[in-house]
Amino acid sequence: MRTSVPIKVLAQMSCRNLWRHRRRNVMLLGAIVLAVAFVLLANSLLRGWQAQMLDTVVANLTGHVKVLAPGYRDDPSIQRGFELSADYQPAVPGLDGWTSRVRVPGVILSERDTRGVQLVGVDPAQELQISFLADVALEGEFLASPADRRVLIGAALAEQLETRIGRRIVLMTQGSDGRNREAGYRIAGIYRASSSSLEKVFVFTGREVLQSLLDSEAVTELSIRLTENGQRNQAKDVLQRQFSNQEASTWDELEPMAASMFRFVDTAMLIWFSIMMAALAFGLVNTLVTAVMERNRELGMLRAIGMQPGILLLQVVMESLMIVSLGVLLGIGFGVLAVHWLSEGIDLSQWTAGIESYYMGSLLVPVLLPYDILRVLGLSLLFGLLASAFPAWRAVRVEPLDAMRR
Amino acid sequence: MSETDFVVQCRGLERTYHDDGVPVHALAGVDFDVEQGEFVSLAGPSGSGKSTLLNCIGGLDRATAGSVTVGGVDLATLSSSELAELRLRRVGFVFQSYNLIPVLSARENVEFIMQLQGVSAAERHRDAMAMLDSLGIGELADRRPGELSGGQQQRVAVARAIVSKPVLLLADEPSANLDSHTTAELLQLLADINEQRGMTIITATHDPAVMAFARRRIGLQDGLIVSDQRAEAGG
Repeated sequence: MRTSVPIKVLAQMSCRNLWRHRRRNVMLLGAIVLAVAFVLLANSLLRGWQAQMLDTVVANLTGHVKVLAPGYRDDPSIQRGFELSADYQPAVPGLDGWTSRVRVPGVILSERDTRGVQLVGVDPAQELQISFLADVALEGEFLASPADRRVLIGAALAEQLETRIGRRIVLMTQGSDGRNREAGYRIAGIYRASSSSLEKVFVFTGREVLQSLLDSEAVTELSIRLTENGQRNQAKDVLQRQFSNQEASTWDELEPMAASMFRFVDTAMLIWFSIMMAALAFGLVNTLVTAVMERNRELGMLRAIGMQPGILLLQVVMESLMIVSLGVLLGIGFGVLAVHWLSEGIDLSQWTAGIESYYMGSLLVPVLLPYDILRVLGLSLLFGLLASAFPAWRAVRVEPLDAMRR
Repeated sequence: MSETDFVVQCRGLERTYHDDGVPVHALAGVDFDVEQGEFVSLAGPSGSGKSTLLNCIGGLDRATAGSVTVGGVDLATLSSSELAELRLRRVGFVFQSYNLIPVLSARENVEFIMQLQGVSAAERHRDAMAMLDSLGIGELADRRPGELSGGQQQRVAVARAIVSKPVLLLADEPSANLDSHTTAELLQLLADINEQRGMTIITATHDPAVMAFARRRIGLQDGLIVSDQRAEAGG
């Protein structure tokens, strides 16, 4: 006949033992709650940064997937363009928006100054579906159509050129025949973007207007925005089949530095979590070992009256899991509340210049994913289980006679 | 009398400890048998080996040489897990300092051992209450050990030890922490259990009052039996 495992009474004993030393256990519980809440909040801020990073990269004219002519990335000129039929519609899974552009390096001249820029010929309606232009603060007017002969420039560039809305500027670039071409345009609007570097680099005009200046009917890129980042490789494959002579690339292939930082966030979350949990595990082990040592006599007696070592081990583990589970659940609750409290975002505008290179905007909004909550829950319980292993082992090694003699 | 009529049989029992490398012979060759229903008192001065003998009989300690048989089972053949099982089902323990579980009530303490044995909740509850009532502490069933006097705690410990009807009750200095009045009550209780339930009891003590209650007194000195007297139980 085997000894039965009295789960109910073990749970009852664990609860009462925890309550018996409530001051110590409340402190431990508080530490678990704080650590878990803090980890969850930190994770959500890192996730927010990651989401912002992805949004920034995708919106900064990259898209989730882009089609370029071979060699364009090394020599971005209209000679590296490709023809796109007027009725082209991408049949891509998860499509959120798309556009084709003409994008070439050029020079902008005002009466006061001259700057090197990226000239971007766009279809305004399509552009607003997928790029950062949809979110800019605009002074003046937006471009009306691909045939609009006016330009949009960034506020930082306008400041450098000492120009304003309604003034004329001259755009100069290399045409499809290799000769320099230039034309004068009037400024329709000045945009303020999340980053001053965007404002300094991109000058927008109608796509047909720029094609006319370059004397070409080609476009240099087809950019796709998807509803889910996870669909990008599938979309890339579809586009690559459609444009077999061109190169389809995902955003992480086009922006390897951003991709590295994106992946780093996942690692950072795990490292951060491990550090917090390791610190917590020390506290947990310490408390549990103390609890086991204090109850040495009681544990010895339990062994003496016939309790099997496995049941004793179960009781210590149960005690550990109870306090860890309670702490983790409360910690997740407080963490969710903290994220909710910060749901309007953290204003980072005073550090904008410094954080632009990290693909961050001026407002960091925490993002809480169910997956992250489940991961914190699962890993915390696993840490609790591992932390209880040593105290449980000590409890099992209690010699009944030695323990009861003390 | 056949071999199987003996609850306990010790043959050439030796137990040697090593204290800083120096061998200490706690038991130096003990031979004795205990029959079903006996009330035996192991007596002797400190260090005579009475507690060691009790622990060897209860399977809490292992003999260095010789053998101990409890209920026909040679303890040397059992693993530590099997010894725990034997202690759980066939041997009841009463300790010097009660050793109740502090976070459980008197009733829960009594029920605990039956829970380990897999007894159903209803049966457990009924037996535990009946046992506490029979020992005169039924009204204290919901109190925790910290809320009970020493004598009441020892009664709960006795209830826990005998509730599952073991073949053998071992009591190590059961009166050590009790006053004379409570000791007398406890001894009467043990005598009643022995007489009315026919339970075999072995106590280790140097309390003359406990010795007086036992019907058989075994004297130990330096790990050897020096006397073995049978007497009428008395108060």
